[in-house]
Amino acid sequence: MYVIVFAFFFELMDSSAGMGFGTGLAPLLLLIGYEPLQVVPILLISESITGFTAGIFHHEFENVDFSWSKKISPELRITLMITLFGCFAIFFSVILAYFALKLPTDIVKTYVAILVLAMGLITILRFQKKSSIYRPKLLIGFAALAGFNKGIGGGGYGPIVMLGQVLSGIYEKSAAAIVSLAEGMVSILGFASFLIISNYGITIDYALLPSIFTGGFIAAIISPYMVRVLPNNFWKICIPIYALIIGAFTLINVYL
Amino acid sequence: MDNYEILDSLSVEEIGKWAKFLDTEKTIFERMKIKKRTLVRLGGALALYLAVMVSFTVIL
Repeated sequence: MYVIVFAFFFELMDSSAGMGFGTGLAPLLLLIGYEPLQVVPILLISESITGFTAGIFHHEFENVDFSWSKKISPELRITLMITLFGCFAIFFSVILAYFALKLPTDIVKTYVAILVLAMGLITILRFQKKSSIYRPKLLIGFAALAGFNKGIGGGGYGPIVMLGQVLSGIYEKSAAAIVSLAEGMVSILGFASFLIISNYGITIDYALLPSIFTGGFIAAIISPYMVRVLPNNFWKICIPIYALIIGAFTLINVYL
Repeated sequence: MDNYEILDSLSVEEIGKWAKFLDTEKTIFERMKIKKRTLVRLGGALALYLAVMVSFTVIL
């Protein structure tokens, strides 16, 4: 039951503030005593379904325009670009694993946590700014940086892409929707790579799947509604504060 | 056209236009209203949830 509650909370925050499902829930479940192979592939399957669900409902509740029938909407183009960098990250991490290149996990995770904390602080300091200028170059830079960090095993894809979008001038509500859909698409590839690995003798334990999926799925429907109803100024302050919590949690997890 | 050119060509007014419109033109209570079409989609989501859970039970 507590796994359902944790999955619900972290997905609720992930689909509304754009981060936390992997960065927050995975270490928590590992801390409780689950093994990485019981947690990581299950989070990827769950995130691929909940990411798409949240994306569809963000579109339904008009937080974002993901239409593509007449013309691909700007938000969908940004989503596809962010997804592309996420997919490169998965390939990169598979190549690193294939050549048995292991970077020092603690250093990589510390670097990602400090980056998330710094970006969170900068976003809070920019709160007073009435309007943001759209900076596409910066957006591509952050998407590439998030992909690179994920590829070298530091995680933090959601927080960096989310804060990167906000710092690049994307409206907070739409940024959350874009991250949700992009994470859903990237997670499919992530899970596919696990399936390939499982053909080489690694067994995936699916015991947690129904609980995580149940909590995550309900949250993936509620959070787009929450994003629609609450004013953007609330998300403007909630997103960086939650990023600071996630960054601090990652640091604590590395050093305690 | 590379990534940068595609993103640079996007008009900033277009990005997040629906959400910005809702925030400026409608109150919180107006935003709380759910359309009939959305209720139908929520029913669809419930069906998807049940289908996935049944699949889990059968496959796992």
